[in-house]
Amino acid sequence: MTAPFEQLKTRAQQRWNELTAGALPWIRVGGGVSGEAAGAHEVTLALNKAIEKANRRANVTRVGMLGLCYAEPLVDVQLPGGDRIFYANVTPEKAAEIVQTHIAHGVPEASLAFAQVPAPGGSGLAGVPDLNDLPTMKRQVRIATRNSGHIDPRDLLQYVANGGYAALDKALTGMTPAQVLDEVKNSGLRGRGGAAFPTGTKWSFLAGNKSPVKYILCNCEEGDPGAFNDKGVLESDPHTLLEGLILAGYATTSSNGVIFIRQGHEEPIEAARKAVQDAYDAGLLGKNILGSNFSYDVEVALTGDSYVAGEETALMEAIEGKRSMPRYRPPFPAQAGLWQKPSNINNVKTLSYVPQIIANGGAWFKGVGTPGSAGTAILCITGEIQRPGMYELPMGMTIREVLNQIAGGPPAGKRIKVLQTGGPLGGVLGESDFDVQIDFDAMSKTGAILGSGGIIVGSDDVNVVDLTRNLVAFNQFESCGKCFPCRLGTTHMVEVLDRICQNKARAGDRELMERIGQSMKVGSLCGHGQLGYNPILSAFKYFAAEFDELVKDHKGPVGAFADGTMIVPTRTRP
Amino acid sequence: MPDPITFTIDGQEVAAKPGQTVLQAAIDAGVYIPYLCYFPTMKPYGACRVCVVEVETPSPQGPRKATLASCTAPVSKDMVVNTQPKHIAELRKGILDLLMTEHPHGCLTCHRIELCGSQDICLRHVRVNDRCVACPKNERCELKDTVRSAQLEMETPLQYHNRNLPIHVDDPFYDRDYNLCIVCARCVRVCEEVRVDSALSLISRSGRTIVGTSHGSSLLESGCEFCGACIDVCPTGALVERDYKWDKAVKSVNTVCPNCPVGCQVFMDVNKRNKVIRVRGDFAGAANMGMACFKGKFATDYPNHPGRVRYPMVRVEGQLQRTTWEQALERITVGLLKYKPAQVGVISSPRGTNEDHYVAQKLARVALKTNNVDSALNVVPELTESLQNVLGHPAATNSIWELEKSKAILVVSGNPTEEQNVLAVPIKKATRAGASLIVIDPRETELTRYAAHWLRPRPGTEVALLGAILRVVFEESLEDKNPGVNNAGGIGDLKQKLWDFDLVRISSVTGVPADAIRAAARAYGAVRPAAIVYGADTIGRADRANLVQAAANLAMATGNLGVRGGGLFPLYHGANTQGALDVGCTPSLLPGHRRIDRAEDRKRIAESWGVEVPSETGLGTNVMFEAMAGGQIKAAIVMADGIPPKSDLLGDVQAAVGNLEFLVVSDYVMSEIASQADVLLPAATYTEISGTYTNLERRVQLLRPGMALTGEERPGWQALAAIGQATGSAGFEFESSSSVLAELTGLVDVYKGITPERLADRSLQWPVWASDHAGTPVLYNEANESKPQFRAVTMTAMDAQPDREFPLLLAHGRVLQDPTRDVRITKADELNQLSRDEIVELHPEDARALGIAAGDLVDVRSRPRADGGSDLFTGIARLTSPHRGMIAITTLFASVASDVEHSQHPDPAPRVRGLPLRQVVVTKAPVAATAAD
Repeated sequence: MTAPFEQLKTRAQQRWNELTAGALPWIRVGGGVSGEAAGAHEVTLALNKAIEKANRRANVTRVGMLGLCYAEPLVDVQLPGGDRIFYANVTPEKAAEIVQTHIAHGVPEASLAFAQVPAPGGSGLAGVPDLNDLPTMKRQVRIATRNSGHIDPRDLLQYVANGGYAALDKALTGMTPAQVLDEVKNSGLRGRGGAAFPTGTKWSFLAGNKSPVKYILCNCEEGDPGAFNDKGVLESDPHTLLEGLILAGYATTSSNGVIFIRQGHEEPIEAARKAVQDAYDAGLLGKNILGSNFSYDVEVALTGDSYVAGEETALMEAIEGKRSMPRYRPPFPAQAGLWQKPSNINNVKTLSYVPQIIANGGAWFKGVGTPGSAGTAILCITGEIQRPGMYELPMGMTIREVLNQIAGGPPAGKRIKVLQTGGPLGGVLGESDFDVQIDFDAMSKTGAILGSGGIIVGSDDVNVVDLTRNLVAFNQFESCGKCFPCRLGTTHMVEVLDRICQNKARAGDRELMERIGQSMKVGSLCGHGQLGYNPILSAFKYFAAEFDELVKDHKGPVGAFADGTMIVPTRTRP
Repeated sequence: MPDPITFTIDGQEVAAKPGQTVLQAAIDAGVYIPYLCYFPTMKPYGACRVCVVEVETPSPQGPRKATLASCTAPVSKDMVVNTQPKHIAELRKGILDLLMTEHPHGCLTCHRIELCGSQDICLRHVRVNDRCVACPKNERCELKDTVRSAQLEMETPLQYHNRNLPIHVDDPFYDRDYNLCIVCARCVRVCEEVRVDSALSLISRSGRTIVGTSHGSSLLESGCEFCGACIDVCPTGALVERDYKWDKAVKSVNTVCPNCPVGCQVFMDVNKRNKVIRVRGDFAGAANMGMACFKGKFATDYPNHPGRVRYPMVRVEGQLQRTTWEQALERITVGLLKYKPAQVGVISSPRGTNEDHYVAQKLARVALKTNNVDSALNVVPELTESLQNVLGHPAATNSIWELEKSKAILVVSGNPTEEQNVLAVPIKKATRAGASLIVIDPRETELTRYAAHWLRPRPGTEVALLGAILRVVFEESLEDKNPGVNNAGGIGDLKQKLWDFDLVRISSVTGVPADAIRAAARAYGAVRPAAIVYGADTIGRADRANLVQAAANLAMATGNLGVRGGGLFPLYHGANTQGALDVGCTPSLLPGHRRIDRAEDRKRIAESWGVEVPSETGLGTNVMFEAMAGGQIKAAIVMADGIPPKSDLLGDVQAAVGNLEFLVVSDYVMSEIASQADVLLPAATYTEISGTYTNLERRVQLLRPGMALTGEERPGWQALAAIGQATGSAGFEFESSSSVLAELTGLVDVYKGITPERLADRSLQWPVWASDHAGTPVLYNEANESKPQFRAVTMTAMDAQPDREFPLLLAHGRVLQDPTRDVRITKADELNQLSRDEIVELHPEDARALGIAAGDLVDVRSRPRADGGSDLFTGIARLTSPHRGMIAITTLFASVASDVEHSQHPDPAPRVRGLPLRQVVVTKAPVAATAAD
């Protein structure tokens, strides 16, 4: 251990002890996207007010998200040295009650509690389930999200106290860049951005380049509707990403890192900026990191409001201040990327695994998941489902298992009919393929992609033709307009689907869409156009009958207002 | 040269250059692959996907097939490319079918298209405004050819949408109809990539993506320099020149632009009514690389003017009356020979060819026995002639496009963006590639935006700065340590004298901080190669020779002579001023740069001509008009094409020639000069003649006639030779311009190897020593050439004569854009006009003396110009002028573009006013101060 890191660790431990076993109770309010949406802000205000009213003092902290979105706002109360008691779906009124019982009187009320984490050696509160025994938590293997919901994302010391930056310290003191790279190669880690390319191999392209300036870009554009795991990891535990990014820089002997976030993702942007600044202040970034010979700089860059900016070359254009349109390849980013320097683009999740891979060894990571797809999938399950949330599950479970056992199945009286996976370019999945394993290769065999890990659940109420129209309309709206097949093809596809939804289908419309789809798939410049036909292709595969019904039996209109005008999907953000 | 890569395309083995894409190699090999977004002079873009091909690459696992866009796929060894398999043809059709849904296409997919005339009734009922005949680019439309190669079906199940966008018809020079646009972004890319302007951009997204300016502004405020490059690359009718918009060319002739010394090679389109309708840059043009500028593209149609002078005229009882050439010549002979040689002058046209200039000077010297002969725009002869004294040749040392490869470029007192437009492009491109640009100029020009170091000296002290830079070069040991060919004499003396240029002193003289001088010197001196581009826009006559010597000293000391990307470039005026100098059409030089004041030089010419050559140095253009006004010159021949009647450069020519007792004018139109002639000869213009021009980089280029002469007009050489014969002198029996060229190449050694036949093939840069010598892009790269000399530069004391009436000096700058300030667009004749609140920079002490505070509205009035008008500005005072006695204002280039567009004169280009320093008076405006600051 380096001396600077030892000092940092000591300070971190002190800080952690003070919070968990100091003089004051520690109240952690689940923040993040889902907590915020559920009312975490109001709950925090109510907690503070109640504490003041009760004339007590407590540390109230906004932590990231635990991933149990259905239980938000989550409040986690820990008396000094005591059990962590979790309260779910807290309202401002309930918050006052919690303060009254748990803080003012010092006695947690079991009937209000949702789950608990007993103090080490303790038996906990009778009648309250252990957090890690919850059906949503039990099968999770939390690697990238290990700290999410447990620590304050704005506090470097809390991260360090929970083992943070130990992997970086280990790498800088005892491993060569090549060894770090080998460890990542051995781990079998594959990119989580959608393409599932082996990360170690990708890094080795960059490591082999001798340019003095090399970039590692971290992509947190995350524009897929229904996906919030990149934002989730970044806003809940930015340092795990940052540590991964620094390790990637070390392994590839790069000089610079850029965390690229979509404008409007305010919490992740602030979290990332604070993390980068704190890391500089602590000597974890900049010249001679932790006293080693390795120097590395990281900055946070923002895009404009564009889905395609998440495409790796469009992302580089955006960072350079240009209109975010994809570049042609070759040259590939590893030869000439950002500012024409060798570059490597990794997803947030991919990089967030790296600290644990280095800390525990590549073999350990390979032991999780399936032989072809090592590690976990961080799934975001939303839509018509009992327990929506962000769950980090080992690869290899079937989709049906996840839906029913983890996420609690559909709401009472409904049946799950359709899933939308991997973002709008991923298309839909019908019930016949719900038994597919969550695994890059098994998924791609069915024609669906795991992609970013978003799964939107639809019941019988969903009209698949309308859903398809929505997805294609999204793809059309987000086309950058550069290459002809995508710019024009998506536009015409929306037009045809509108027609079908309005009972105005023409003979040959299906063949027409197939023809346009073929032009886009083979002809387009980037993945946006190449995959842009997927929603229709997959909808035909599972729900052809539904199309026929509309076309032949004129069962529409669907997706239209009463006056017949089509409902246009609103933007991913206003 | 690395080995070529061999691969197979459509069964044919082809050799490609390494780094080429499949499409480039296919074009070179003559294999047609349709494409739309690619353009040969630009980087690939990969958007239209029409150029898809099937590519088979060998791999250990057997050949791998892929469908790739050929414009972005690099060629690799043993690749097998098929351009026409069925699935590729289908894919291409599919993409073009999509494209046709947003372009008015009725005719493009019609099998009758070639049979259909503009008046025919259409059996397919293609809407009238969707027909190709309704498009100005019909018959020269690239999209049409590409689409037709794919043989689309007439019927398509896809829905056609007209964008129904308003057509932009209110900006200068050209219309933009984005309903015809296919969003290939060639225009956006040429503006950014080739012209470094970025006035255009893609706007909006997805199916609505279209070309525009940021915020949809008028082109006037977008930073457009109206070079027209976007029009030349547009594959559709979206961008077209407004003048002669619907005219079709019957021929297209390769010739040279007559408006500035860059000498852009252009294609001139001529219609069936014998009018020049369009000018396009020639992509094979070595001087311009396919570019043109606002003057070249939009101000070259003056030969079409309906008021052309078609026959000779003589003044009878105060009126000009038609006559015959014979009678006119007789009148001229009688008129001119009355006067003593010193009372006669010959001014040749700035657009004259080498042949015209040669005959002009021969006429002056042989028939009129005077050396009072000059090319009209040779107003700053020191710029080139001083180079002869210092280095050996009176010309730029290097080639224009080498500037692109320079690591540092020093621009002194010049504004090439407006005066020598295309020369500014390689400078801007070099800065983008990382070169540092150093600008020495009191005015803010377009180039200062790109400058890493903008030294803004007190007007008149530019040369002192050059001296100081040289001193820093020696002080910091940045000079060339290995002086081979650059080993010029006089270095010891030079170093001694450099003590005068002590930085503290120069800093106080020039008003430029010592640190800034030092930084600029390092930027120029620490890298090789580095070039110097110099003009004399703000430099007085007394200092001009010093300027050239100082620039040459700097280039020699840093080893930048004789190397590619280095050297010296004088920024002078006139399309063929260099040629005039070469063939002896100057008062001090004889053909071949021989000196009047040197007996052996005179002897050589006299032997050839068979007559004595007058030995007294004559009057140059810069003093000849004054001599006319003063009565010392009493009779003259003025070849008036391209001579502005009143200008900053030449003063009041109109009044000067009016004072002559006998005036012979050759002009193409009844201009202010022509109308005062005693004998007026009808002139042929640049579109109607054969001949040669020599550009700024010594490139001799061929002019080819595009328009036919319809009256009795004669080219300059022919008219002058006829005068020569009429005077009874021998040696004017020329049959054609080629025979003039043949005579002059015998006298001009550096032209020795030039023949019209060689020039027809390609242009040649002199010296061309023999008929098999390829020309000389870089001077002084051979040790046996002339020995350059260092000479110390003396600092001339500034002639600080305060003027009571106009006490301040105005440094008027002009830039393409200034996004920090608001502009207003108003309409004049339905065209956009731009105006804004100007800012007048004043020195705080001057302001205090005038009782002006920051934010006050002030009036600026200049001393009357030669044309009688005054420059008048009203602006908001800002106390930021760096020098006492100097005020500054920076206006927008758009006003120049509007002026040219609105000009009533057939030939507005020579009338574009430059940016000389002006003496002005500043007063507080009678209005109350505004809050606009």
